Amino acid sequence: MLDSATGLSVPRSRQRVATSVAYWALQFAGWGLYFRAQASGEVIFADASWSQAATLWGGVCVSGFTLTHLLRWIIKRGQWLSLPPSALLIRMLLAIALLASTLHVITIALSLAEYNTSVAPILGALYRRLPPDEQLFNQFINSLIVTLIWVGLYLGFAVQRHRYDAQVHRAELAQLLNAAELRLLKSQLNPHFLFNALNGVRALIADEPARAQDAVTRLAHTLRYTLAANDGELVTVARELEMVNDYLALEGLRLADRLAVVRDIAPEAAQARVPVMLIQTLIENAIKHGIAELKEGGTLRIEAHVANAELTIQIINPRPISAPVPHTQGTGLNNSSERIRLLFGSRASLRLDLSRPGVATAEVRLPA
Amino acid sequence: MKALIVDDEPLARRELRRLLAAHRSIQIVGEAGDIDEARERIESLAPEVVFLDIQMPGGTGFDLLTRLDWIPRIIFTTAYDRYGVTAFDVNALDYLLKPIEPERLAVALDKLRATAGGETHKGSPLEQLFVRDGPRCWFIPVRDVSVFSAEGNYVRIQWGQERPLLGRSLAALESKLDPQRFFRANRQQIINLESIRSMELGVGGRLHVQLNDGREVQISRRQARQFRERTTV
Repeated sequence: MLDSATGLSVPRSRQRVATSVAYWALQFAGWGLYFRAQASGEVIFADASWSQAATLWGGVCVSGFTLTHLLRWIIKRGQWLSLPPSALLIRMLLAIALLASTLHVITIALSLAEYNTSVAPILGALYRRLPPDEQLFNQFINSLIVTLIWVGLYLGFAVQRHRYDAQVHRAELAQLLNAAELRLLKSQLNPHFLFNALNGVRALIADEPARAQDAVTRLAHTLRYTLAANDGELVTVARELEMVNDYLALEGLRLADRLAVVRDIAPEAAQARVPVMLIQTLIENAIKHGIAELKEGGTLRIEAHVANAELTIQIINPRPISAPVPHTQGTGLNNSSERIRLLFGSRASLRLDLSRPGVATAEVRLPA
Repeated sequence: MKALIVDDEPLARRELRRLLAAHRSIQIVGEAGDIDEARERIESLAPEVVFLDIQMPGGTGFDLLTRLDWIPRIIFTTAYDRYGVTAFDVNALDYLLKPIEPERLAVALDKLRATAGGETHKGSPLEQLFVRDGPRCWFIPVRDVSVFSAEGNYVRIQWGQERPLLGRSLAALESKLDPQRFFRANRQQIINLESIRSMELGVGGRLHVQLNDGREVQISRRQARQFRERTTV
């Protein structure tokens, strides 16, 4: 499923080369054909000499080629395709007017130089029934049509490509997002804990079915709580501690008498609100890096109280003395720090104190 | 076959005991809850196979293996393969994911029986080394090593294309090696006699030895005489 998006993403550089080749081919072919049509028309219908016709229309086409290429450069540089439609329309109209007028002036100048008339002979022959000033106006219309055709073709292709790129980009983003969500979910589910708990349940089923049933119920609770948790959600400390109790009961299965828990939760603290999974993450850390690493285990203390409109939660656990102080806080704690900072700003803090040997204290302060 | 169960969780040990009860060929001689206990039991009980959990307090299963002089057959048991055991060279060992499936256990035990030959026991020369270098681990059959070189207090092992570092001294290693096969070429190196391709006399009574992998080792003058005595046919 994840591969479907990669099928779209042809290497960017190859794609760019392909579009570039297509652009140059069309540019040469378009202006070349226009030159050939105008110059040969002038020789056939206006009895002009080949060299004069070639000079006039060669000049016009080379100018057109250069000016449109310049316009393409401006469009790309100014990222016109990313502009809102109205802004793009205004810019394109201005560009069209400027381009058509410039081509018109160049045509007049070259025609004057070659034939001494301001209307090119082929157009003069075409519009011979019109008065001279209207012939000149039609010559402008001619330049305008050529410009419009170029802009129409160019925008048609470029907009399609832009849309396609955007689609590919969106697909890639969606894929990245999926992968990130999956990673987050995996870390929240704590697979090491999960499989150990399942193993414990399997061991209990035959001899102690009642304990096995209780463990399955608690496992279901923790999974449901984890899966339902939304990033910005706040829950009461009491609700979060229900989850923590289920979790600790399951860890108690595998750690047996190595895990003791002491809770000291003030009644007003129980009703205070905390980000969902915050205490749970700290407890998981305390078990994983602390008590589970000790042969004799130890006592986990969970304390919460409110003072001066501030909720303080402390998780205190023993840890191996020899264990080096981790150089990074670990993703779990970093994520938690970031989350409470986003939710409460500078009024909240999360601190892991490893200054005392053999003891780890995680402390959260939140506005109550 | 004598087996030892090493796991820090009593419930996990209980579960494995129950699963193994169905296999008459396996006789559980003991249990251990951490690696120090495990090391002691392996030395005193000499089990032929050890069911070894990886994550334990006080040190991992890998730590245990690097400290053993004599390594029984190992079957790793792990709840979640954070260490990539499943990517190990499975010819050298097997692994079981917890909760362990009875069928999977039966397959592992069959494999164990099929490859059981070549009885090794405590006191016989070192046959297998477990080496952990950075994120990689190897079970190295000692007879396939061509050179052991001292590197500070450690030993660099030359084994095929690999050059892992072993966390013991060359002198400590030398006392465990089979003297019929391994020879102290100089102060820095021990060579495998089986991997010698050719040799020639060097300056001042030294010997230049070329090994099968193309590497050259010098045998010091002091050792050269002994070497000639050993290898003279």
